[in-house]
Amino acid sequence: MRAGGSLQAGERRLAAGLLLPGLGAIVLVTAFPLAYTLWESLHLHDLRMPWLGRPLVGLANYAELAGDPRFGEALAHSAFFTTVTVTLEVVLGLVLALALDRTFRGRGLTRVAVLLPWAVPSVVAALVWRFMFEGDSSVVNALLGRSLPWFADARAAWVPLILADVWKTTPFVALLLLAGLQTIDPALHDAARIDGAGAWRRFREITLPLLVPALGVAMLFRALDAFRVFDVVYVLTGGGPGTATESVSLYAFDVLFRNLRFGYGAAISMTVFLGAFLIALAFILLLGPRLVQEAER
Amino acid sequence: MTQGTTWGVTRGVILASVATLVLGCEPGREEGAGPVTVTFSASEVGREAQLLRAQLARFMRDRPDVRVVIRSTPDAADQRHQLYVQWLNARVGEPDILQLDVIWTPEFAAAGWILPLAPAADDEADFFPATLAAHRWNGRLHALPWFVDVGMLYWRTDLLERAPETLDELARMAAAARGPTVPYGFVWQGARYEGLVTVFLEVLGAHGGRILDAEGAVAVARDPAVRALRFLRRAIHERGIVPTDVLGWQEEQTRFAFQNGQAVFMRNWPYAYPLMEAEGSRVAGRFAVAPMPAGPEGEPTAALGGAGLAVNARSRHPEAARAVIGYLTRPEQMLERAEVLGHYPPRASLYADSRLAVALPIPPAAAAEILERALPRPAIPVYSELSGILQLWLHRALTGQSEPADALARAAEDIRRLLERAELTPPTEDAAAGSE
Repeated sequence: MRAGGSLQAGERRLAAGLLLPGLGAIVLVTAFPLAYTLWESLHLHDLRMPWLGRPLVGLANYAELAGDPRFGEALAHSAFFTTVTVTLEVVLGLVLALALDRTFRGRGLTRVAVLLPWAVPSVVAALVWRFMFEGDSSVVNALLGRSLPWFADARAAWVPLILADVWKTTPFVALLLLAGLQTIDPALHDAARIDGAGAWRRFREITLPLLVPALGVAMLFRALDAFRVFDVVYVLTGGGPGTATESVSLYAFDVLFRNLRFGYGAAISMTVFLGAFLIALAFILLLGPRLVQEAER
Repeated sequence: MTQGTTWGVTRGVILASVATLVLGCEPGREEGAGPVTVTFSASEVGREAQLLRAQLARFMRDRPDVRVVIRSTPDAADQRHQLYVQWLNARVGEPDILQLDVIWTPEFAAAGWILPLAPAADDEADFFPATLAAHRWNGRLHALPWFVDVGMLYWRTDLLERAPETLDELARMAAAARGPTVPYGFVWQGARYEGLVTVFLEVLGAHGGRILDAEGAVAVARDPAVRALRFLRRAIHERGIVPTDVLGWQEEQTRFAFQNGQAVFMRNWPYAYPLMEAEGSRVAGRFAVAPMPAGPEGEPTAALGGAGLAVNARSRHPEAARAVIGYLTRPEQMLERAEVLGHYPPRASLYADSRLAVALPIPPAAAAEILERALPRPAIPVYSELSGILQLWLHRALTGQSEPADALARAAEDIRRLLERAELTPPTEDAAAGSE
């Protein structure tokens, strides 16, 4: 008994020792920057006004955020962008995944072709989309036979932005869903078919329920990315016209790197972190039990 | 040194090294044997870098006690500014000499990052007053103008007989001269960036307005400003002489449109002139420049741009740095810059020099006339943020998201809050207090 106890203690010590480097790495690359940003957000730290010093101001930056209409709008823009793009990407991604799941000639080649947009760097993709929409003689305006100033209109500017993001990331969603589809036992479909279930019924009763974990993961990844979107907006619209398409991350960038207000910028960054955290938490709470059930089965 | 004992020299070297190690800098003393080294932040690409290297080589021949090393810095203004702020915040003594955009000098001076230059040049009176005003903070000059830039009106000599004298005339001429082959009447920089503020400043001056008034109070919500913004907006949305596309255009896009023969008028800087006279340009020999015309109750106004040279406050060799700046801003060097790069000299007397007439594509008399009317943007330390606020509200009004009067009232409010936060209200109070 004593020997067993000491062995257990030894193992525990070994386990702790093995975990320590990993925990250390997490603290170093995640907890420390986060804590530092939080600490910074409690200061007035304006690189452009060094004569003000760097005093601790408590929650003053957060109070300013609460009364900053540009911040509220940026938050709303990010939420809008997330909702629209994730919805479109999941629907289109599902269609694409179902198509790719079938056996047909040249399937391997098609799968590669579909994935191509995902491989294009975001900045390049965004530039291409800008050229397609910018100017009188742009491809899109020529197709429409009209000369629409896409980037000078507060509502129209969303169109290229959303299209660019959907074009680029739908393949990623499709890939995740395709992986999910392939874990579904074909015998289930065969049995249902024998029982006389139609394609739509089988999709609703078999495919969709069994695909929920994959859908959850895809939506979580996409929602997190879309909420923190920066590159596509920066290149395509620059947040304009005015600030009509400015996302929270872009606003944070503007405050941090153009105006060099580190304290206030840190406060904005904290809210971006908090938003992303809440999204992740919501998905885990909603899908967590489901995922556990799947694992037990 | 004069005693020349080995020990003396050694001791000097040791002391200097210790001082360097311990203090990181040793202000005000030019130490020891051999030349002192000063670093110069500049672009390291193209003809500009070549010319600078040649001029510095000549300087070093004259002054064997000083060695100048070029520290390569990005050309894009935003990137350069960000880098400078990082260096200077970290209290680095290098680069000793900084090339500053006109709008940065008060910011850096107020932060205590650059040294006052006085007595900068013995012939300060030779510089255009506006260029000196832009580089002054608290009544003292902090950077010496190196070259100037100024907004001008480009017009098509094959479509028009003369340049317009008023803004209304410009609008009428633009409307009459445009047609199927020349679809645009007037193009300017309307994207949400610094260029939009310079365009607005010119039209604002043409209406008799300012961004900050003589007392330093915010003047962007006053009547002339509202009329100026309405003029710009009507030109796009009602008169149709300005294409909506300008709302996403910077200097180069406007130049492409004008150079392809698509526009009757263009507002731009002097750099566009030689490029549009070059082979392949569809308007070569068919355009000229004029001052931006006046509107009602205002006068012709040109936004002042350009760069100055300043000394890092932590420089270990401020005297040597000043000598380099003094040399580079001498008339001969400026003339050479005009010849090789087409940069406009900030010295008024050079515009009477026949060599400048050969060097510059634009007749010097015409250029000098525009330069004398040049208006600096507000010379305050928080100008960049002020400009950011203006850019937003101007762009919102021009894209129809808010009404001009309302947008400018909101901009004024935001600017006042900014000045309050910077503890600079009103900015002239600081100058009177003389914090040094």
